[in-house]
Amino acid sequence: MTNAIEFVGDVSVFSLRAIADLFRPPFEAEQFWIQLAEIGSRSVPLIVASGFALGAVMTLHTRSTLVTFGATAEIPTVQSLGFFIEIGPLVAGLLMAGRVGSGIGAVLANLRVTEQIDAIESLSIDSFKFLVVPRVLACVIALPLLTLIMDFSGLVAGFVAEYAASGISWHLYIERAFASLDWANFVPPTLKTAVFGFIIGAVSSYFGYTTSEGAQGVGKAATNSVVLCSLLIIVSDVVLVQCIAVAFPRTAL
Amino acid sequence: MANRNFLIGMFVLIGLTLFTIGIFLIGKRHGAFARHVEFYTEFKDLSGLTKGTKVKVAGMDAGQVAEVGVPDSPLSRFRIKLQITERLRGLVRTDSVATIATEGVVGGSYLLVGAGSPQAKAAAPLSTLPSREPVDMSKLLEHGLVLLKDADINVNKVGAKVDETLDGVETTVGNANDLVVGLKQGRGPAGMLLKDETVASNIRQSVTNAKEATAALHKASGRVDDMAADIQSRGVTKKVDETITSARDAAANIKDSSKQVHQTVAAATKPDKHGVDAGTNVRETLSNVNVASANMTEDTEALKHNFLFRGYFNHRGYYSLTNLSPENYRKDRLFTNPENKRAWLSAKELFIREGNSEVLSSEGKKQLDAAIYKFGESVFDRPIVIEGYSNGADPANDPADALSSSWRRAILIRLYLQNRFPLYPTNLGIVAMKNSPPNGLGYSEWDGICLVFLRPQK
Amino acid sequence: MNPDDSTAVFFQSVSKSFGAKEVLHEVSFNVAAGEALCILGRSGTGKSVTLKLIIALLRPDAGKIWIEQDEITTLKTEELSRVRRKIGFLFQDAALFDSFTLYENLSLPLARLTSKSQEEIDSMVVKVLREVGLAADKKTMPSQLSGGMRKRAGLARALVLEPKILLADEPVSGLDRITASEIDELLLQQKTERQTTLIMVTHDVHGARRVGDRFVVFDHGHLVAYGTAAEVESSDNETARQLISLSS
Ligand SMILES: Nc1ncnc2c1ncn2[C@@H]1O[C@H](COP(=O)(O)OP(=O)(O)OP(=O)(O)O)[C@@H](O)[C@H]1O
Ligand SMILES: [Mg+2]
Repeated sequence: MTNAIEFVGDVSVFSLRAIADLFRPPFEAEQFWIQLAEIGSRSVPLIVASGFALGAVMTLHTRSTLVTFGATAEIPTVQSLGFFIEIGPLVAGLLMAGRVGSGIGAVLANLRVTEQIDAIESLSIDSFKFLVVPRVLACVIALPLLTLIMDFSGLVAGFVAEYAASGISWHLYIERAFASLDWANFVPPTLKTAVFGFIIGAVSSYFGYTTSEGAQGVGKAATNSVVLCSLLIIVSDVVLVQCIAVAFPRTAL
Repeated sequence: MANRNFLIGMFVLIGLTLFTIGIFLIGKRHGAFARHVEFYTEFKDLSGLTKGTKVKVAGMDAGQVAEVGVPDSPLSRFRIKLQITERLRGLVRTDSVATIATEGVVGGSYLLVGAGSPQAKAAAPLSTLPSREPVDMSKLLEHGLVLLKDADINVNKVGAKVDETLDGVETTVGNANDLVVGLKQGRGPAGMLLKDETVASNIRQSVTNAKEATAALHKASGRVDDMAADIQSRGVTKKVDETITSARDAAANIKDSSKQVHQTVAAATKPDKHGVDAGTNVRETLSNVNVASANMTEDTEALKHNFLFRGYFNHRGYYSLTNLSPENYRKDRLFTNPENKRAWLSAKELFIREGNSEVLSSEGKKQLDAAIYKFGESVFDRPIVIEGYSNGADPANDPADALSSSWRRAILIRLYLQNRFPLYPTNLGIVAMKNSPPNGLGYSEWDGICLVFLRPQK
Repeated sequence: MNPDDSTAVFFQSVSKSFGAKEVLHEVSFNVAAGEALCILGRSGTGKSVTLKLIIALLRPDAGKIWIEQDEITTLKTEELSRVRRKIGFLFQDAALFDSFTLYENLSLPLARLTSKSQEEIDSMVVKVLREVGLAADKKTMPSQLSGGMRKRAGLARALVLEPKILLADEPVSGLDRITASEIDELLLQQKTERQTTLIMVTHDVHGARRVGDRFVVFDHGHLVAYGTAAEVESSDNETARQLISLSS
């Protein structure tokens, strides 16, 4: 029990340090770009593929349900609301927890185990700033962008599926998809993934950076990162959805 | 290195582009980027309208509610500022009415601004558009259900009490009992029961019979009045209890009254101590009964006008003659039947102008007397409807004038007839017909009055 | 007690434990500037830990450590950078940055810690790589190097900043005899030509005797022998005598 509390404290201090160090020079811009490419750009294929698959599946499902109510005209609306409000942000977050969380966990743990972190420190480079901060920041920035890509992939796949079923025009589809969408259904849910990004970056960095075991620790850091990131993303989503609902009482769903 | 930056560049550009597209598409629906004009309108009830609610002009998306001003007292109304895109501005006229509408059964509400008429001027920016209060379907249903239940409970309970009470009254009042039972069963008193001639004549008969019992009946019906008023004001359970207590009191009173009835019967046979003969007494008591039953009528009337009951009453042909709707009137064979006796009297014969308003001329009075005389003796037992017609005081004026002036004429005639002849007030119906008589009577237009003597129903 | 000007590294009653396990127990020794100290000891006796204490990657539980005039156990991060700037560290497993090429591994410290121009950095990197015999592998990733090559690359990274104090954790382990003696030669050259203070952990007695001026021997967390080769040979500690003897 005390261990668990201590763990929460450790992770919190670690996360706060990441935030604090973000604003303290020197800035590791080079490392940030490297990480943004790694975390953001190289995740795009995964996100697009998942968004497409999920978008198509969702339209097939909603269609079979809505058709019994004669409400097929609502399909684009359901699709866009579903993706922009919840599916896009949450699935993008979970996918990144898997891809990036395990990656960061394993890489940092490996750096620790092979004394590369010590080597960086011995060169008077702040290893925390050099390794952790760029990764956290890259996650925070990449996640909303990846979420947008996910949202629109889902929408495009939804259109393709709906076009195959009913021959709806692209114009009408987009018109209906955005008819019931509000700022509050688009901007806050997209931006909330920055929080997911922070969770992924901070938690997986924590596991990697602080590992004290050998090769086994690398695998453990990767696994723990994915598990805890996914869990925290889902839990924080519940909180964030509530916050958004409070901040935008009428329009948020 | 270059490759890496290319990847980052693509990633960031795609993300930002999608963000912009999203913002733009949503903005388009909000009209955020379109130039718009602002108007005001006011509502007593917002029905869930908030800032950001969609605004449609003639059914087309036109903008959104920009601001909701909350009133500082119940006297004033919510002041709503709405934005309408420049493109639809031409449809918004000074007579465009704003209403709060609902999208489908489960959809949210939106503000609908009707396209105005081409004659009206274009509404100026920041002007206040006229509004129509929303009908909240759910409230209406709820209201109706509660009312229905209340009425049911009260009528049952009170009906039972009144039955019980009146059972105690001597046989002289027995027939009056029928009247109350009739009321309990949902049938209105006197003049309403047009289609059920036997019941109607029963009631009239019973009223005649009950004239000795007036005092008692008056009191009893007074209680019923109170009860009915309470039904209207919906003070449900507590009121029900009170009503029952009152009814119990009434029962006691009626026991006393039955004694009075005997006295009255006795009094009817010889002049009383003031030397007033039985005939006068009878007339007074009769008018008391009339007042009492008129009160009851009014109460049931209110019920009949309630949304839910209207259909029920109309369906059974129970009309109140005091306030006939021209629309129903024109539709019902009861009134438009060519076999009804009619007396067409023109405005020229009937009215003279006195200052701003019309009054009955002495010539007119003569014409009316003659018409009543022509209807024969049974005129006092049967309902008469006074149809008012008018072209409007000044034809150049608005058509509403025709309605109001035809209504005024009918009222004028009713007043005269009521004072002149012993007609039951509830047997005298009036209806404002503007200038067009019902079809199939041989008149395409009329200016004046038509007395309709309703023939009995088979 | 402050060390005098000639002292490069000074340990004063330094103790270090990991959990319940005491790795160093009140260890004291000093290394004069320009001197070469060899640390001997059986596996797991705290040799690497001693080097990490010197560069402040680890902090002692008790005792004091001076690097020249600075007592480093209480130093703040910024001042520590200044001290570390004087020290080059060859890690036991080289600890090359495996996401960087060999060239980047060497240029990173130069770019970070000096204000040298790109050309100067280039020429320095090439020069050091040539010294360790890896001039041809500039663009190679560490994962593609052999164990011995990695060790040399690690040494190159430690030398590239021309440190006043060079810490080398087993610089020649896993190398063939010829290469090993080349490395020893290189270290000796650093000492004689640049007056680099050298602290070297090694199991290679030949190399140690060739390079080292003095020796410390650790056993079970205690410093059991300290002095010149002859002094250690005549030590009353059995382990120390065995470790230093050439006829093992
Ligand atoms: N970071 C650490 N956490 C816990 N224990 C450690 C840590 N570093 C070293 N140790 C322990 O301290 C002891 C000394 O380790 P050290 O690396 O100094 O040994 P060594 O003398 O260098 O051995 P070798 O010759 O095998 O390299 C070992 O038992 C090791 O388990
Ligand atoms: Mg070691």
